[in-house]
Amino acid sequence: MTTNTDKLLDVRDIHTFIGQFHILEGVSVSVPRGAITVLLGRNGAGKTTTLRSIMGLNQVTQGDITYMNDSLVGKSAHKIAQMGIGYVPEHRAIFKELSVRENLQIAARQKGDLENNLDFVFELFPDLKRLIDLPGGNLSGGQQQMLAIARALVPDNSLLLIDEPSEGLAPIIIQELISAIRTLAANKTVLLVEQNFRVATLLADYFVIIDDGHSVASGNMSDLHKEHELVQRYLGVA
Amino acid sequence: MGSNIFGGKRDAWLLVLVMLVAVLVFALITSEFRLNNFAITLVSGLFQGMLLFLVASGLSLVFGLMDILNFAQGAYFMVGAYLAYDLQHATGVFNITEAVPDPNIRFIVGVIVAILVGAFLGWVLERWLLRPLYDRPLFQLVLTFGVSIIMLEGIRNIWNTTPYSWTEVFGIREAQFTLFGQDFSMYRLFVIGVGVLLIIGIALLLRRTRLGIVVRAGVEDPEMVSALGINVRVVFTLVFTLGCAVAAFGGAIAAPFLGATISLGATFLIQSIAVIVLGGLGSYEGTAVGSIIVGLALATMQQFSIQVSIPVLATITPMLLLVLVLMVRPQGLFGEAR
Amino acid sequence: MAETTHTTPNKSARTASAQRLGFVAGLRENWLYWLILVILVLFPFIIGWLSGDSPFGAPRGDRMVMRGESVYAQSILINIFALAVLVMSYNLMFGFTGVISFGHALFFGLGGYLMGIILEFGGMDPNLGLLVSLVVVLAVTGVLGFIVGLVSLRLRGIYFAIFTLAIAEMGWLFFRGLEITNGEDGLNIASMPEWIDPARNRILVYYVGLALFVLTFVLIRRLVNSPVGSVFQAIRENEERAQVLGYNTLRYKLFSITVAGMLAGLAGMLLAIMNKEARPEILNVSVTVDALLMTIIGGVGTFTGPVIGASGLHLLDTFLREAVITIGPLTIDIGERWTLILGFIFVLVVLIFPYGVVGTWKRLQMRFRRNK
Repeated sequence: MTTNTDKLLDVRDIHTFIGQFHILEGVSVSVPRGAITVLLGRNGAGKTTTLRSIMGLNQVTQGDITYMNDSLVGKSAHKIAQMGIGYVPEHRAIFKELSVRENLQIAARQKGDLENNLDFVFELFPDLKRLIDLPGGNLSGGQQQMLAIARALVPDNSLLLIDEPSEGLAPIIIQELISAIRTLAANKTVLLVEQNFRVATLLADYFVIIDDGHSVASGNMSDLHKEHELVQRYLGVA
Repeated sequence: MGSNIFGGKRDAWLLVLVMLVAVLVFALITSEFRLNNFAITLVSGLFQGMLLFLVASGLSLVFGLMDILNFAQGAYFMVGAYLAYDLQHATGVFNITEAVPDPNIRFIVGVIVAILVGAFLGWVLERWLLRPLYDRPLFQLVLTFGVSIIMLEGIRNIWNTTPYSWTEVFGIREAQFTLFGQDFSMYRLFVIGVGVLLIIGIALLLRRTRLGIVVRAGVEDPEMVSALGINVRVVFTLVFTLGCAVAAFGGAIAAPFLGATISLGATFLIQSIAVIVLGGLGSYEGTAVGSIIVGLALATMQQFSIQVSIPVLATITPMLLLVLVLMVRPQGLFGEAR
Repeated sequence: MAETTHTTPNKSARTASAQRLGFVAGLRENWLYWLILVILVLFPFIIGWLSGDSPFGAPRGDRMVMRGESVYAQSILINIFALAVLVMSYNLMFGFTGVISFGHALFFGLGGYLMGIILEFGGMDPNLGLLVSLVVVLAVTGVLGFIVGLVSLRLRGIYFAIFTLAIAEMGWLFFRGLEITNGEDGLNIASMPEWIDPARNRILVYYVGLALFVLTFVLIRRLVNSPVGSVFQAIRENEERAQVLGYNTLRYKLFSITVAGMLAGLAGMLLAIMNKEARPEILNVSVTVDALLMTIIGGVGTFTGPVIGASGLHLLDTFLREAVITIGPLTIDIGERWTLILGFIFVLVVLIFPYGVVGTWKRLQMRFRRNK
C-alpha cells in the first residue's frame, strides 16, 4: 500500500443503501494524486455504487469521504461536481437529443471553460470536431464514450471518475481510448471502474478489489499479476 | 424500437401531416365547402389550440423534467381567468372600474397580475409542497390532486359557482378582421398571434440559451445534469413556476371570450393531458403540434356535432384522438420509443 | 416504488403455513379480523339496541319505513362497503401489481348503469333482472378489463394510465349525454326486487354489502398470498426481471386487471342498489381519483389500508359535512367548506404519512421492535 503518496481522495469504510438494500458494507479506497486507480471486482460487487456514492448520487449512511481536505458526505451532487470532480457514468450517459457541441457546452461551469479546453479535447478525440453539430444519439458507441469523457474534461476537474469505459466497444476503439485516458491522466487523477482485466492492467497504477460490498484488497497494479490466488478468487480471471 | 431517430421523427411528421390534412378536409366537408364557414372553423380551431398550448406547454416540460403530471395545472388557468375577469369588472369592495376607467389598461393589469399570481402559486407548490416528496413521484401526483381541489374550492368560495361572462368592451375585442369573407373579432387574432409567438419564443429559449440546453438535458437525465455541477432543483423550480405562470396567462387572455367558469380548469386540464400524451410526453414539438391538431379537430367536431345534433361528439374528440394516436404510435407522436 | 410495503418471503410463508395449520391457528393469527367481522354482523342490532330504534325500520301500516338510527347507520356502512370494494380492487391492480390506471371509474359506473338499464328497460321480473344484471355486469366488466389489459401490453406506465383516463372520460361523456338514462340527471331505478329494496329491507342490502365486502377482502388476501400474488408483486417491483425469470407477465397483468374490473363493477352495482339510481357522477374521473387517494392514504399494497382509507374518508365526509363549528362570534359551516378541508387533509396526509396510514404504522412498529 502506498502510504506516503499524497491522497487526493480518501474513501473510508463507507456504507450505502439503495432502497432497503445494503449495497456497500464497508468500502475503503484511497486515490493517490496524479495516478490512475482502478476498482476491480465481479458484476454487482458495488463498484458503480462506490463511484455514485463519491459523486453524491447515492446517499452514504456511514463512513467518510474526503477530497482535498473536505468531506463529501452529505453534499449534493452538483456541489461535489463543482469541487472539481468529473463523472463519466457507465453506459455513456450522454444527452442523445443534444448536439455534441451542446453536450460540451452544458458541462462548462465558468465562462471560458469550453474555449480554454476545447483544443485539448479535440487533440484527444479528433473525431468529435467533425461530429460537432450532430445529435449525440447519432454517434457510434465509441464516439459516445469519447464524448462522455470529453464532457468531463471541459471544466477544470482534478479528479475523473470513469465507469467502464471499454464496455461493449470494439478492440480497436478500446485501444484508442486507452491511449486517450493515458494522455489525460498526465495532469488529472483518475478513479476507474473496469471489468476488462487486460485494459485495467494497461491503464492503472493502483488497484482496489471490491467484493460483495466490501473492499478486500488493494495495492500496486504491477504486483497484482503475482497474486494468483487473489485474482482467481475475486475476479475469476486465470 | 428498431427505427433510428431520423426515421422515427420522419414517421411522426408524416403522421402529423396526415392528421392535419384529414382534419382540414373534414372541416371543409362540414362547412359544405363554403370558405367563410371554413374560416370560422379554422380561426376557432387555432384559437382553442393556442389556449391549449398555454396550459399544455408547462404540463409537458414539467413532466419531461420532473416526471410529475401536475393535475393542478388547470386550476392555474382558472385562477388567471378569474383574476383577469375581476380586475376588469369588479365593482365591489374595490371598485376598479372607477379607479381605472380605461378598460384596455384594466385588461393589461389583469394579465400581469394573473401572471404574477400564477407564478407565485406555482413557486409555492413546487418549492414547499412537491420538493419534500422528491423521492416519491406517486405522492407528488396525489399532492397535485389535493392542491387542485384546494384551488378549485378556494375559487368556489371566493367567487361562488355562478359563471361570469365578459361584458366589458375594450379595444381589440371590438375591432374586426376578415378572412374568406367572414368577419372575426380582432381578439381571436391577438390570441392566435400570442400563441404563435410563445411557441416560437419557448422554442428559441430551449434551443439557444444555456437554460434551454439544461432543461433539454434535464428531460433526458436530470441526475447526469446535477453530476455536471448544475443545481437541477433550481431549474425544476424555475420551469415549474414558469409553467404555472404561462397557464395563468392563458386563463387571463381566454377570459374575454370564455369568461370565468368553475369547469374551465377541468376541461382544459383533461384536453391538455390529451395533447401532451398524443404529442409524446416530454417532447416540446409534440406539445406544440398536438395543441394545434387537437384545437382544429375540436373546432371541426363542434361544427359537425351541431349539424348532426350529437353534442357529445365534440367533447370526446380530444380523448378519441388520443386513443387513436396511441393505437398507431404507443409512444405518442414525438415520444421516444422504449 | 419505494412507498410500497414489502411482503417479505418469510412473512408470506408464515401466513401460508398458518392457513395450513387449520382453523384454530388461523383464528389466533387473525383474531382481529374475526372480531371485526362479528361486530359488523351484529352492527345493525348493536346500534338498534343502543339507540332503541329497530334495525328493520319503523312500522307504518303494513310496511316498514326506513327510519331510525340503526337504519341510518346501515346506509353509511353500505356506502363504505361499496367504496371499500372499489378501493380494494384498485389496490389489487395498483398496489399489488403496479399497474396505474386512471380509468377505474368506468368499471364502477358500468356496474351501476348496466344494472339500472336492465332493471328499468329489461321488462323482466325484478329478481330475474337482478340475476341477469349480475351476470351481464361481471361479463362486461370482465371482458372490458381483459381488453384494457391487452392494451397494457403495448402501452407502459403513464401512457397506459392516460389511455384508461381517455376511455373512462368517453364513457362518462357518453352516459352524460345519453337520453334514455336521462343524461346528467341520471337514471332512477324503481323496479328493484322487494327483498333488496333499500327503502323496504335496508338490512338485507346491508348483509349483501357486508358479504361482498368480506368476500372481496378474503379473495384479494388469498390471491396475493398465493403463488400468483408473488408474481403480481414481482411485476410491481420490476416487470422486466419477472419476465427474465420466465413469467408471462402479460397473463398475470391481464388477470389482475380483469379481476379488479369485475370487483369494481360489483361495487358499482351495490352503490346503485343503495341509491336506487345511476348518475353520471359514478363514471367521473373523480371516482378513480377517490380510489387512488384512499389507496394511498390508507397504504398502498397493504390489505387493510384500502379499507381504512375508504372508511376513514367516508366517515369524515359524512360527519363533517353537517358539522358547524362555533368559536365565539365566529361560526364556521364545515359542510360548506368541506371539500376545501378535504383538499387540505389530502395534502397534509401526503406530507405527514408518506407511506399511508397502514404503511407508516407498520414502519413505526418495525422501528419499535428493532429498538427493543
